[in-house]
Parts: sequence; C-alpha cells; structure tokens
Amino acid sequence: MRQLAIAGFVGALVLLVVVEWTARREGSRIPTLGDVCAYVMRYEVGPVPVGRIAVIGFWWWMGWHFFAR
Amino acid sequence: MEQQPELSADVPRAWDRPVFSVPILVFLSLIGGQFASFSAAANLYSIGLGGALAWVGLSPRIPRRAVPARLGPGARWWLLPILIFGVFEAATFMLGSRDDFPTFSKLADPLLEDSLARSAAYFAWLSAFWGLVRR
Repeated sequence: MRQLAIAGFVGALVLLVVVEWTARREGSRIPTLGDVCAYVMRYEVGPVPVGRIAVIGFWWWMGWHFFAR
Repeated sequence: MEQQPELSADVPRAWDRPVFSVPILVFLSLIGGQFASFSAAANLYSIGLGGALAWVGLSPRIPRRAVPARLGPGARWWLLPILIFGVFEAATFMLGSRDDFPTFSKLADPLLEDSLARSAAYFAWLSAFWGLVRR
C-alpha cells in the first residue's frame, strides 16, 4: 500500500512536469501552469479578487503546512 | 473583469530581474531551512514571509504580467495530474494517513528534516510564490 501511495504521488508529479514541458514547447496549445494560475486569479466577485485571494492563500497555507506545522 | 493594461508589464523592472530576486530568495530559503518543524520560529517565519508576499500579491500597486484572455481546450490536460494527486491525497487522508498508506506531507516530512533539502524546498515554495505575486 505504501508503494502504491508513493507511485501515485510520484506519477502525478511526473505528469505535472511532462504537461509543463509540453506547454513550453513552441506552438503548444497547452497553456503553462503559470498561465492557468493567472487565469484563475482573474476571477472576481464584484470588487473582491476571489481567485487571487484563493490561489495566494492556498500557496501561503502550503508553505506553513510543510515547513511549520 | 477587464484587464488593467496600466498595471500589466511584460518588461521586468530592475527589482524584478532574476539577478536581484534569485539571491534574495536563496538567502531567505537558507534562513528558513534552519528552523525545525513545529518550532515557534518556523511558524513565525513561514507565516510572516508568506504574509508579506500575500500582501504584495494582493496589492494593486505592484505591476503584473499580462494575463491570457482565455484558456484553450488544451488546459484540460492540467486536470490529469491534479486529479491523480487529489485522489491519492484524499484516499490517504481519509484512511488516517497511516505509515503503510501515507499522505504526501507525511512522505515529505523525513525528507524535509535535512536543512539543505528544507532550504531547497523553501526556495521552490518562495520562487513559485514570487511568480504568483507578479501574475
């Protein structure tokens, strides 16, 4: 079971790298992860930048979770 | 939800160039790598540094790079790694994150005990954070 979990996480991370690498090739129709994040961060509800708060807040929490908790 | 062209910049400012930002991020990462998990210093440092970057990222005064007007159907490829990761994280979390079926963070904990590896991970986190802030 432990090997299955490791394989799953490593597989997902390898896929992430492969998709990003493919996205950066010339003429690719896949946007980079940065472009996807930037697009999500554009989402606003009225004057509130909900997408920006969510993405930045999530990344802030990630750092605290891995380095401090 | 119009894009604000006066706040978008494709030309990096002097302080936004890697020659300035990378040494600062390396310095901050080396400091962060010295604090052990669960310590008050680690909490203060990660919350303080992340809070400062979040404040910069939410400030409308910071110039941002141009945002794509729309995402093509190729963006769906991103769902694949996200879904696989999400399924495994949810499954391991719901089963209690045991040693024989651990969550991602439980797997990462032993690797992050080494200060050099911790600094490298800090650098990855801060670099991505800095990238998000300017988007």
